[in-house]
Amino acid sequence: MKKFMPVEELARDERFNQITQADRMSDARSAVPANAESTRRSSNRLTPARADASDAARALMHGIFVGEIQALEGAGRTCWDFTTGEEAPFGLKLDMARQAWDEARHVEISLKLGDWMGSDVGQYAENTVLFQAACSNDPVLRLAGVNRALEGLAIDVFTSMKEFGEMAGDPYLEFCEDWMLADEVTHVKMGSDWLRKVTENDPERRKKALEFQSIVDKMFSYGGSRSDSDESSLGIARRFRELAGFTSDENEHIADLGLQALEERKAQIREKQAAAKN
Amino acid sequence: MANPQKPRAPFAPWDRRELPGSFSVEETARRVGHYKWAEMKLFEALGGWIATVPELDIKMRLGTHCYKHAWHAELWHKRLPELREMNPERLTLPANDAMVRFIDAMTEPEAPELTIEKLVGVYRVFIPHFISAYTYHLNNTSEITDMPTIRSIKFILQDEFDDWREGEMLIQSLLETPEEVDRAAAHQAKLEKIMLEAGGIAGPGSIGINTPAPQGAMS
Amino acid sequence: MAITVTPETFSFVSFDSAYIARIANLVAEQLGLTDIDIEIAVDETSPLTRIDVEVTDSLISIRPLSGALEDTRRPRQQSELATTLAMARSMLRARDRLRGGFENAPLDTELSLPQAAAWDTYILGRITRMSIEVKKQAALYNFRNRHGFNDASDHVFEKIWNAETFTWDELSALSANTLTLSA
Ligand SMILES: [Fe+2]
Ligand SMILES: [Fe+2]
Repeated sequence: MKKFMPVEELARDERFNQITQADRMSDARSAVPANAESTRRSSNRLTPARADASDAARALMHGIFVGEIQALEGAGRTCWDFTTGEEAPFGLKLDMARQAWDEARHVEISLKLGDWMGSDVGQYAENTVLFQAACSNDPVLRLAGVNRALEGLAIDVFTSMKEFGEMAGDPYLEFCEDWMLADEVTHVKMGSDWLRKVTENDPERRKKALEFQSIVDKMFSYGGSRSDSDESSLGIARRFRELAGFTSDENEHIADLGLQALEERKAQIREKQAAAKN
Repeated sequence: MANPQKPRAPFAPWDRRELPGSFSVEETARRVGHYKWAEMKLFEALGGWIATVPELDIKMRLGTHCYKHAWHAELWHKRLPELREMNPERLTLPANDAMVRFIDAMTEPEAPELTIEKLVGVYRVFIPHFISAYTYHLNNTSEITDMPTIRSIKFILQDEFDDWREGEMLIQSLLETPEEVDRAAAHQAKLEKIMLEAGGIAGPGSIGINTPAPQGAMS
Repeated sequence: MAITVTPETFSFVSFDSAYIARIANLVAEQLGLTDIDIEIAVDETSPLTRIDVEVTDSLISIRPLSGALEDTRRPRQQSELATTLAMARSMLRARDRLRGGFENAPLDTELSLPQAAAWDTYILGRITRMSIEVKKQAALYNFRNRHGFNDASDHVFEKIWNAETFTWDELSALSANTLTLSA
């Protein structure tokens, strides 16, 4: 088995259809009104008040499910891709094995929740951006990408879903999201701790890792679907992020990135829609 | 207990543990170092394979089992300094070259169609050899001086048995044609031959050497 | 009757208007809606799944967002099943309003979320019996989201799901009652 697996090789059965972030971004349609000023301002936040709440929650749940698979694969690959000692400390790899177990449980939980909400495995396209963006060949960058950017996103998503479950009175959803959230906070903490430890005497490398994280964070703002704006379906879960070791500066940075991504996406949609109409 | 001053035997009547054991501190450290090395290779391989198997149920099992073997490696890592090896890395070694070749051959299958080979290597060859080496160690070490190793082995063996059963059932569920049965058997034989050369997880003597016992004073 | 579909050609998605019309025609025949014009205007600029339906005595106007006809596995591709479902849902809703005892139902935009969920359940239950594949668990989940996650709510869901001839008054009363029980 080779080291460093390209995203196209992630093994799936025939129920799954994988798409890339490029595929997704080339879609000129948008749930976000491209001219927010000119349209009747409508919230895209995932709350039960949305008329399409069940559909939207189901689609997001499937997104979480495939995200958990990719997180499982990413954690597993870190156990394999890097030589113990020379490239990655033994303790770091133990943590990644632990994470693989946690993510395997998250896949199990997501499958059960998918049944509960009435969706099938593979019912929605699988965006492989998480694995693609997060799985760098440098272990420190991978920690920044997977354990801080990806897991940070997971915290935001689970917080949204937990609130959704709470508001809708869905005891099952709220219970599951609460447990997964606890694990994800641990995963971010692992990332933060190892990043600090491994780059202790290498400020240059730490800087590079944080820059990489910032790029990935922006990608994970998914063209504006995560920000403080109500036009984004997900918010930023500051309280849980702080629990996981993100500083408030880091959280503000992610909030800025989210708004930037939202504005860029809106501009892009305006352009594409104008082009399509001509 | 009527009289707290009454002397009692320090070893209760049901405590039949024996002092002698087959392994010195040094020999125990050597074995434990091999165990750690082998458990590490196993958790790394399981972690790497997660992304290569398309079967969702197996993907999740591999992720779960990956951690258990990492935890075993950690237990052995922590045991080494207690066995006078203050630099655990020094003894974290394969038993011999054949063991290295075994791992290379076991981790060779990568393509998504090769789940049978991946599982056979782990659950029909590697893990059974862990079970046997650990069982031999458990039954031959001093029940008093080496109790910490025994305790770890007992935890670990429980995991190994559970995972072996789960892995074996996964293999059985994948084998649907006589050709697939042959495939599994051929791969098992190929790996078992390398393991034969290696002599087991801890090298020759992993499960002791079976020679006729002395016939006793009257013979 | 005439069925028209706009736009004729799509630029945001790979949909086929003739195919939509063919499916709409089949569903209309199955539902006995052969005496009225049907106009389908797809909004291809949104990937969401909402469908607006308006009815007059001579015209059923169906305006789905493109997500309602889409194959969720293959973004921007059309799904036969989703299209069939979208047509069946819209036309049954229209038929209920025209001649199904829903003449006094509020406009779609004025329906409460629980009312909309109850009506959708009634529609989807009947669609299942037209041998069109419907995910019952998804419908149940939607109903629970609007009426509560409890046995009383599930019981009413089953009742509505299996019903063939409800009036709006009966259906809206059931929905309101369930909410009181769940509260
Ligand atoms: Fe997770
Ligand atoms: Fe995680």
